[in-house]
Amino acid sequence: MATAKGANTYNRQNWEDSEFPILCQTCLGDNPYLRMMKEKYGKECKICARPFTVFRWCPGARMRFKKTEVCQTCSKIKNVCQTCLLDLEYGLPVQVRDAALKIQDNMPKSDVNKEYYQQNMEKEMSINEGVNPAGALGKAMAPSDMLLKLARTTPYYKRNRPHICSFWVKGECKRGEECPYRHDKPTDPDDPLADQNIKDRFYGMNDPVADKLMNRYSSMPKLDPPEDRSISTLYVGGLGEKIGEKELKDYFYQFGEIRSINVVSKQQCAFVQFTSRSSAETAAEKSFNKLILNGRRLNIKWGKSQGQQGQDKEEDKEDEKNLEPVPGLPGALPQPPEELSNNFFNLGGAPPMHHPMHHMRHPMPPRGPPHMMPMFIRGPPPPGVRLPPPPPGMMPLRPPPGVMPRGQVPQMHYPSQDPNRMGASSQQNG
Amino acid sequence: MPKVKRSRKPPPEGWELIEPTLDELDAKMREAETDPHEGKRKVEALWPIFRLHHQRSRYIYDLFYRRKAISRELYDYCLKENIADKNLIAKWKKQGYENLCCLRCIQARDTNFGTNCICRVPKSKLEAGKIVECIHCGCRGCSG
Repeated sequence: MATAKGANTYNRQNWEDSEFPILCQTCLGDNPYLRMMKEKYGKECKICARPFTVFRWCPGARMRFKKTEVCQTCSKIKNVCQTCLLDLEYGLPVQVRDAALKIQDNMPKSDVNKEYYQQNMEKEMSINEGVNPAGALGKAMAPSDMLLKLARTTPYYKRNRPHICSFWVKGECKRGEECPYRHDKPTDPDDPLADQNIKDRFYGMNDPVADKLMNRYSSMPKLDPPEDRSISTLYVGGLGEKIGEKELKDYFYQFGEIRSINVVSKQQCAFVQFTSRSSAETAAEKSFNKLILNGRRLNIKWGKSQGQQGQDKEEDKEDEKNLEPVPGLPGALPQPPEELSNNFFNLGGAPPMHHPMHHMRHPMPPRGPPHMMPMFIRGPPPPGVRLPPPPPGMMPLRPPPGVMPRGQVPQMHYPSQDPNRMGASSQQNG
Repeated sequence: MPKVKRSRKPPPEGWELIEPTLDELDAKMREAETDPHEGKRKVEALWPIFRLHHQRSRYIYDLFYRRKAISRELYDYCLKENIADKNLIAKWKKQGYENLCCLRCIQARDTNFGTNCICRVPKSKLEAGKIVECIHCGCRGCSG
């Protein structure tokens, strides 16, 4: 049909012409000085069977010559390299990328349907002249976590190696040293990776490489939220000496309101507790295996429930920070009586910070979560006051006289309260 | 059949001295031409032809220019009868091309990028230890 002569040339599937190929970095090779041959209408596209401009080059010493296999229209539809048919951004097979981005691209694969689709796509692309891939992929471009993890960062030149010398496999290679083909063991025919099909790889179905990658991804370490819905504490390990409460606070406050941070420097860990479970989950998702503070990757895990946590930290009560009231907020309630202040963990007696805590040895488990609620309500100002988020930058640092418990200098509770920080309105009307 | 002569004149003196060698080379050439192609690459089948051609021309060239064992008349006679390739000998007289394997290897029009054949690269410039057999004539390096 493509070459039929007839009156209706306007509806004919045109042969493709192009100036420069669409290729990925691995296919191009390591040599910056590249000589490429161009042949107009050299071969048929392996997918749409249209004659197209074939480019052929040598990707480096001891590499086989590579050439473009599919036409530019086909490669633009799927945003893949013209030779290796892997995604241009991530270097991943089409099936993996589509699964990660949840794209269901139903490209017609057969006969007239396919030609019709190709024709329309080409027309669209020539009008559009855009850089974005046409078709379904153009509409869904949010970067996916899975793709970033699976993607290769450096080029993989083993793909460009010459094919296996079949004469050598039989023992009959007479060329010896100068044989340009590989004298290596051939791939195992039982291996599922051995039967790959260009059409399957392009359309993203039945691709054994994609299957292998997705299996590998699902077996990668993942952090599941614990079933106990009340847990909103994250364990942060691997701190080192440099990272302290301030740095953790500066990082974690973006996910939600932090209820408390407890740094256990002896064990190089910290417990970050959020007020809401969802913010804890967001924080876990965004930081697990990803958070790098001060050059160290922090080990994020879920903390145990409140009561058990208290029991574990019996020896380290000196470090537990009692929450000071957030300075500068309007309408701060007066401090509750001593026996009720800062008593999240239902521990008996919470003397001021600088006194060592000796009383926290009560058995915790039975008085876990159920007792949190009353504590919360009767609780000290910080939780109650913190509910309306402090408007950023509006920090009249007028410490209400009766509120500041020990007459200390108003402390920065949020990073945004720091008057030296950008955006803070500076005043010190004391 | 003995080789057919192109001119009617008898060959000049000294011909009898070189004739046996030339006959041997002719015989070898015929053998190369009739060799079956089994077990050889498509291009490899032609390599002996080029090699013998080079050898024959080399013989005449050496006799005249190096050893000065034949007269100019005989030399010209050989060139006229196409026993030696005069174009190839013309290249051998140039500096750098003294050991040129065949004329195809310096033909830039035959290559994709307008270059010479790989066999024209001197061995010092070629990465060490790489064996090359050029596809045209099977030459392993004619300038380095």
